[in-house]
Amino acid sequence: MNREGELALSVEGVVTRFGDKIVHNGVSFKTYRREVTALIGSSGSGKSVLLREIIGLLRPSEGRISVMGVDVWQASDEELAALRGRFGVLFQEGALFSNLTVGENVAVPLEEKTELSPELVERLVDLRLSLSGLSPEERHKMPSELSGGMKKRAALARALSLEPELLFLDEPTSGLDPITARRFDELIQTLSHGLGIGVLLTTHDLDTISSIVDRLIVLDKGKVLAYGTVAEVKQFQHPWVQEYFSSRGG
Amino acid sequence: MDFLEVSYEEEGTRLTLYGDWRLLQLEELNSYLGSRELLDVLTRIRGSVILDGSKLESLDTAGALFLLDTLEQQVDSDEIKSESFNTSHASIIKLVSERKPAREIKRYKSENIIAHVGRETLALWRNIVSSISFLGRFVYDLLPLVIKPFEIRWRELFVQLELACVKSLPVIALVNFLIGTVVAYIFADQVRRYGANIFIVDGVAVAMSRELAPLIVAIVMAGRSGSSFTAQIGSMKINEEIDAIQVLGLSVMNILVIPRVIALAIALPLLGILATGIGIGGGMIVAQVELGITPTTFLERMHDNVAFRHFWIGLIKAPVFAIFIALIGCRMGLAVENNTRSVGLNTTSTVVQSIVVVILVDALFAVIFMKLGL
Repeated sequence: MNREGELALSVEGVVTRFGDKIVHNGVSFKTYRREVTALIGSSGSGKSVLLREIIGLLRPSEGRISVMGVDVWQASDEELAALRGRFGVLFQEGALFSNLTVGENVAVPLEEKTELSPELVERLVDLRLSLSGLSPEERHKMPSELSGGMKKRAALARALSLEPELLFLDEPTSGLDPITARRFDELIQTLSHGLGIGVLLTTHDLDTISSIVDRLIVLDKGKVLAYGTVAEVKQFQHPWVQEYFSSRGG
Repeated sequence: MDFLEVSYEEEGTRLTLYGDWRLLQLEELNSYLGSRELLDVLTRIRGSVILDGSKLESLDTAGALFLLDTLEQQVDSDEIKSESFNTSHASIIKLVSERKPAREIKRYKSENIIAHVGRETLALWRNIVSSISFLGRFVYDLLPLVIKPFEIRWRELFVQLELACVKSLPVIALVNFLIGTVVAYIFADQVRRYGANIFIVDGVAVAMSRELAPLIVAIVMAGRSGSSFTAQIGSMKINEEIDAIQVLGLSVMNILVIPRVIALAIALPLLGILATGIGIGGGMIVAQVELGITPTTFLERMHDNVAFRHFWIGLIKAPVFAIFIALIGCRMGLAVENNTRSVGLNTTSTVVQSIVVVILVDALFAVIFMKLGL
């Protein structure tokens, strides 16, 4: 099946070294739009590092990363800025600007990157918040007044601000209670399928994997250990993978 | 460019969407949807409406929101049917219509002035009360250490002493040297008029040792150490390290506050001595250059005519300034709330409070010494 048109992200032969320590030793994979892809691996396997390399924050030692057809590490500053307008990132702790209210946080990308009038921005902010499952009352709160789950929702609203074609989520459900985490999963799935957004997330959450993830990438010892649908990866005969999927208590 | 075409058919009014209904075109789209002619047409529509998405090129949530807003506000129809939207457009419209926020924008009422003054006054009052209770707590925790000095955290104390004392030598020396020369220039100009050149010595020596050196040192240290205490302790608070200290059954006062206060109370007099010396040195150079008073004459005059008490008075004030600066810095650090913004606010507040308190205390000292006839 030719899916080149739907290709969201391709990572080819990425090598990352910090001094003598090799984090990635030739990582390659592809992800597609309208799909939720999860990057899993033990703690310290370099999931977050890879994510930072993909969004252009950390230069890999070797390899090529292209996001929606743009080579992240060859692109000029303008191209990179334009590309960044097309994807949204949800950082692990939300990374909301602490001196701005929730509404202002969501409005930042709209105010900086578009020429829209304040009324339109305001209306769009309301929509973003409601898409992320926040009520309009939350928009005047400061990030410090929000619970962990609310913070993530607000950060997601900001990530959605510019109608991204691709979303990167770093451990979206970590630190949330199971109920909130499942709601957040549903939200991600709704956005991915409803808006046709491609999603790449890192996670440790088995429930997220079994409920909303279409495709799994397993990172181990600097390599992609397994790649495929959740069912395929579950069948993969490797001690780490088998232990991972049987690790759920009860 | 047209985004919408209205045509009338047997089954009802057909609204055909054209082009790109996206965030990038939103301003254009909004002015188009708000135009007089279109509104006239839309508001006159009655009966059922068919929404035709066959010509729609692209759609995102922003476009969908404005489409739905316009239909809701302008079109008075009980039945709106969607037709020939592709699946992704249809799912966007479905999602947005489910989650569409209510239109009315709630604005925060601006607070009335009396409530505002009341709130600020209460905040000020709480600040004063908590300052006093912090001071009380500090003294309460300090007293046992006077009997058992081995329980003082000497390591932390010396680390802080190095930071406060050694590392700030260059800036203290530079600032006081410059102040010494500036003061000497002013005096030189004045004493020359009376032909009383030698009095520059008394002027510079008394001003530096009694007032300027301790005050300048205190102000520099308020900016340097006070602010760093707040930032350090504040970051620890955000990182839950303060909670960890308490949970381990240790005293925050003993570990963080007392070593800092003692270190600064030792550092400031030492820096004050240095500052006095360097400031007078600066004055001495100016006296030589401007008035031809040799350093030997300068020092002799100082030895014979400037009472030693001026130096002592300066030296007594320094540790008092230090204790206030350190206590304010630590208290504001512990008062940091659980957000990064609060660290910045409290650090600023520390510097402002410290400088104001230092100058207030200095004025108080001036009055006391005057009454004592010193």
